[in-house]
Amino acid sequence: MKKLFLSLAALACWAGAANAEIKVVTASSDLKYLCERVGGAEVKAESLASGGQDLHMVEPRPSMVFKLKKADLVVRVGLDLDMWVDSLINAARNPRLFYGAAGYVDASAGVPLLEKPEGKVDASMGDIHIYGNPHYWLDPANSKIMAGNILAGLKRAAPDKAAVFDANYAGFVKELDEKLAGWQTRMAKCTGLKVVTYHGSWPYFARRFGLDVAGHVEPRPGIPPSAAHLDALVKKMKAENVRVILTESYYPRKGPEFLSERTGAKIVTAAVSTGGGKNVETYLDVFERVLEELCSK
Amino acid sequence: MRKIIAIALVVGVCGLAAAQEAGTPPQGMRGTPANLPDISLVGVIDGHTSSNKADDTRDKLEFNEVETAFQGYIYPEMKADVFLALHKHGTEYESEICEAKVSFLSLAEGLSAEVGKVNAEFGKMNKAHSHTRAMADQPAALTNFLGEHALNPQGAALKYLLPLPFYAQAQVGAWTAAAHEHHVEGDNTADVLDVDQSTVTVVLAPEETEDFSPAGKLYTARLNAAFPLADGAELELGVSGLKGKGSHWEHHQDNIKLAGADFTLKFWPSAYRRFTLQGEYLRLTRDVPVGKLKRDGLYVFGNYRFSKYWDLGARFDYAENAFPVITYERDYSLIATRRLTETTTLRAQYKHINLSGEKTDEGWLQLIFGLGPHSHEME
Repeated sequence: MKKLFLSLAALACWAGAANAEIKVVTASSDLKYLCERVGGAEVKAESLASGGQDLHMVEPRPSMVFKLKKADLVVRVGLDLDMWVDSLINAARNPRLFYGAAGYVDASAGVPLLEKPEGKVDASMGDIHIYGNPHYWLDPANSKIMAGNILAGLKRAAPDKAAVFDANYAGFVKELDEKLAGWQTRMAKCTGLKVVTYHGSWPYFARRFGLDVAGHVEPRPGIPPSAAHLDALVKKMKAENVRVILTESYYPRKGPEFLSERTGAKIVTAAVSTGGGKNVETYLDVFERVLEELCSK
Repeated sequence: MRKIIAIALVVGVCGLAAAQEAGTPPQGMRGTPANLPDISLVGVIDGHTSSNKADDTRDKLEFNEVETAFQGYIYPEMKADVFLALHKHGTEYESEICEAKVSFLSLAEGLSAEVGKVNAEFGKMNKAHSHTRAMADQPAALTNFLGEHALNPQGAALKYLLPLPFYAQAQVGAWTAAAHEHHVEGDNTADVLDVDQSTVTVVLAPEETEDFSPAGKLYTARLNAAFPLADGAELELGVSGLKGKGSHWEHHQDNIKLAGADFTLKFWPSAYRRFTLQGEYLRLTRDVPVGKLKRDGLYVFGNYRFSKYWDLGARFDYAENAFPVITYERDYSLIATRRLTETTTLRAQYKHINLSGEKTDEGWLQLIFGLGPHSHEME
């Protein structure tokens, strides 16, 4: 019995070993990247979802509770995209992370939203997000606001490191602005390019880079495509000369392939988050790869 | 043009500074502020066909359950969840409080409590509301030992995340559960063989055709731990115990103990694919004045989600009943689930029942739909 108690005590000490790093748990891998950029060496960030996952459908696991239990900061996408985070925060019982607490960061705060529904909202419109389209990170310019929210959270967690975080934030913004200018120049030749997307994930991206989204493979958000919908989409794509079908790497291939076969449009399969595909190691790589693919069409 | 750029820059910088200085406005602050709880409704329509012609519930497609929920915070780190349900019992609808609880989410680091009427965390599946389960029915072992509609007594539970380098939670609960009402014929007795092969006389009572479930003052405990086996694989193990009385205690004077062990293995090979293997074993001990009944039950459930919209599953049940005259049930189920949206599910299930040699085939159809924001604690 004595041995058992000693072993448990040793385990508890190991588990509770103090570390000066700020422990941050993020809902997505893009938020993890931004935390690492702003927090630098002061931060140890972990993402609950991997880059290849659909953030609508992440399944909470006990191991995620364990991560949140030890965290100083939780950073979520918000806008009801990652509602699964709520049950994890409750299960972790970490007072630092509850809604409104110093360690709670909603990265969407302050982001100008698109597709905010007005009036009555119900499931006849599909799996609609009542606060607006939550795929805001696909406009790289929004990452400045997201990183700003993270900066504020990190300052609350470690006010003494504020100068370091400010410098890291400024460095990220500078690099982003340079990249953004280059991407916009590259995309100038594709302005007005008509695309069909699988899900309504791309309005922020389309607005930033001048794409024209002519339709979606899903008839409504989250609703699988019917044959009739695909037929109608084929007609529309032919009539409007849509040459590109843009889809996330995790969505089913059947619908896009059907459209591609009948219209000759090319499928651009994009990793929409950090680590979601080959050569997509960072948040900035997400745009490098998508733009590379789009510009080569 | 320069002026416009300058104004845009100033507005942008001010907006950014405001976002930083103001901290993070909570998500609910978007749109029109409203001091309302989350209000939702979940409906379950189901029906089955059966080769058992004596089954008077067969060949009917009916509303089986309507669950309404009111959920929200009542204080910082205090949440209230009230689930009211209308269930079909035989041919009648009965209303009941499914769960009505207040959760103290953080009494201290890692410590929380629940008070009220709660689906007790005994094993893995009792906690889950029927509409969240990946099957149209519940495993026979749970029905035989915990009751037809899950064990949800009144009382309180304390839960603690153990300070270990992996997820481990210990919890204890003290509860009161209502005994089932029934009519007892005083002379309805029978001589049965006890475990030591001696003959004992026990009150049979109508419980042979009624539910058995734990009742009276109940004490529960559970310890569960989870281990990530790889990036996309996780194993959860749990043990549970319960001590209390039987639901017909006033006639049978039966003190009961229920012990359980469970495992859940999940493997996610890609974004929408998931393989689940889950099992529970339960042992019921009914200590009656004339002897001791020991009964076993288990289920093993395998489920493969092979696309965003489809699941295929299979389940094996073994369950002895909780009564003096023992029966042995072995069931085999095949389950197909089609998710229409995040809140609407269509399910078909084939079930072969072998109850002490009496064989029945059943085919189930189930439609579950949800309206409004509805959530449950992580299961």
